[in-house]
Amino acid sequence: MSAAAAATSLAPDDDAVIVTEHLSKRFHDLVAVKDVSLHVRRGEIFGVLGPNGAGKSTTIRMLCGILDPSGGRGTVVGFDIMRDAERIKERIGYMTQRFSLYEDLTVVENLQFYAGIYGVPLKQRRARVEAVLESTGLSGRRRQLAGTLSGGWKQRVALASATIHQPPLLFLDEPTAGVDPVSRRDFWEQIHQLASKGTTVLLTTHYMDEAERCHRLAFIFGGELLDVGTPDEIVERRSLSVAELDVERATEAATVLRADSRVEEVAHYGHTLRVATRDGTDATALSSEVLGAAGIAIHSGRRVRVTVEDAFVSMVRKHGEAR
Amino acid sequence: MLRALIIAWKELLQLRRDRLTLAMMSALPIIQLLLFGYAINTDVRHIPTVFYDQDESAESRDLAQSLLATGFYDDAGHVRSYADVERALRSSEARVALVVPPHYASDLTRGRSAQVQLVVDGSDPQIVASATNTASALVAARSSSLLALKLAKGGTIAGAQPLSLEPNTWYNPDLRTAVFIVPGIVGVILTMTMVMLTAMAIARERERGTLEQLIVSPVRKLQLIIGKILPYIAIGYVQMTLILVTGRVVFDVPIVGSLPLLYGLAFLFIAANLALGLFFSSLAKTQQQAMQMSFFFLLPNILLSGFMFPFEAMPKPAQWLSQVLPLTHFLRIIRGIVLKGSRFGDLQTELVWLSAIVVGIVMLTSRRFTKKIV
Repeated sequence: MSAAAAATSLAPDDDAVIVTEHLSKRFHDLVAVKDVSLHVRRGEIFGVLGPNGAGKSTTIRMLCGILDPSGGRGTVVGFDIMRDAERIKERIGYMTQRFSLYEDLTVVENLQFYAGIYGVPLKQRRARVEAVLESTGLSGRRRQLAGTLSGGWKQRVALASATIHQPPLLFLDEPTAGVDPVSRRDFWEQIHQLASKGTTVLLTTHYMDEAERCHRLAFIFGGELLDVGTPDEIVERRSLSVAELDVERATEAATVLRADSRVEEVAHYGHTLRVATRDGTDATALSSEVLGAAGIAIHSGRRVRVTVEDAFVSMVRKHGEAR
Repeated sequence: MLRALIIAWKELLQLRRDRLTLAMMSALPIIQLLLFGYAINTDVRHIPTVFYDQDESAESRDLAQSLLATGFYDDAGHVRSYADVERALRSSEARVALVVPPHYASDLTRGRSAQVQLVVDGSDPQIVASATNTASALVAARSSSLLALKLAKGGTIAGAQPLSLEPNTWYNPDLRTAVFIVPGIVGVILTMTMVMLTAMAIARERERGTLEQLIVSPVRKLQLIIGKILPYIAIGYVQMTLILVTGRVVFDVPIVGSLPLLYGLAFLFIAANLALGLFFSSLAKTQQQAMQMSFFFLLPNILLSGFMFPFEAMPKPAQWLSQVLPLTHFLRIIRGIVLKGSRFGDLQTELVWLSAIVVGIVMLTSRRFTKKIV
């Protein structure tokens, strides 16, 4: 791959695809993004997490070169986001939240259109279109109008369109919103395949199970970068302990637990309660102590793996209170 | 340029799928044409008039003065030949010409009958009636007073009227409304479809999120705009041809002037409307808004451009407003070429106006239409 060769010759010690330093964006007096410094390496699947309005989309737009930062600087695929925005655009793929396809064009026509727009040479265009049809399993639906496809198939066409020019870097803005679990699984398989061939993927998501499929994660909240690391690192840094409890009078038990300041979070999962505690306090032990004092019996309780979702909720709660 | 062509190709593919729009674009011109086959008659005042005075006597000047005094005619100057009369009418400098023959004064004093000629531009039938009736009445009144004078001097009433008017309608001698309406329809339809289609084409991309997808692509602003409007220019020409052919076949409207000139100048008009459509689309968030803006714009075009009511019949402020509408100038161009055989030289004023309007709108639009961020 020529892009890979270019990247290595550019920076032999470091194959960074995205580098930003103190990137900021203000809209009048609203600070949308504040001081974001990122470092994304080649072949990485990099997830950006954060609640709605946290500044994820603004960050992506600055990285794509369609929004000028108010402060800080950054390079994407080796080009400055301020000065060389047009050259960045040729080298990235971008998939919007809504699978922005031309619904009145067929699958093939959509792909041909984007191949043309991204300057895939005419001679290679047919072969490229065939290749992505093949790799995304769309061959059988090539003549179907994009508007008549179901969500999962639309997503495939959108991904095929975004990768038609074999970009070294792919931006996916909530790529799996409104897609069924099986399609999501297939989608993630494709993302990992692309990454294994050297494509860097930066995506945003609200699904925490998907966050765990990323190589590395960044948490953005209120426009600020709170944490960056592998899913495990991020979970560990929160030093949470989580227990699942089978209790009687679950709703009442939840109220009692929430009243205790050492309890980070209580959530209902069917008949069980999921209780999280912070700073090394054991969730199971604390729960039996607190509920015992309230006279609520625990049928069973076990310590469970802390998930990215636990870490995410904990982080949002903490910073939300701080504000 | 290649990218612009790719966008144009995509646009055509989408149009092919959009049967309703396609049907509307071809049926609308014809339905409108048939609907507007009948026009509204209004009293027209202030008709620009040139005088071809071959006598240059006190009497001939008096006739001209009394004609102007009626308020129906405005002085558009004096000319020295029939060729000048023709030029003035072709370029719409004047709608009417009063031709006074040589020896007019001496004929009158010697009691011989004299005949003046009133040449009327028949391309707008609404003007012809007002122009002819007023002048006829005036001349008849003069004739009677001359007759009375003759009798008082002891003459006889025998023989011809001392003074008569020979009305002469050029360009549309049968005064058929259709002849006037057909070229007008071309202008109205082009305004309607060009503005609306372009406004909606961009608004649609915005609504469906594909504009965002294009903005992150390497397509440049100009490529996007050119690619978007190219197919609609072609559609505009197809519509124009459709109306002219239907007008020819159904209403027997002749095309006197040069077709290449018409198609050439139409480009400016189409460009002005497309630019306006793009401007609306840069304001509109949804297709519906784009449509509403287009209709809002269409109304003054129909009322003020001279399509329905003669320009001369409008109050002054309305005339000023109508000058900034591209349709006003295109109507003069197309009626001039199709009905009167106007040449390039006759249409320079309109050409300057249209060009100025295009430049103005394009400047306005490119400021609004920024490619950075949706």
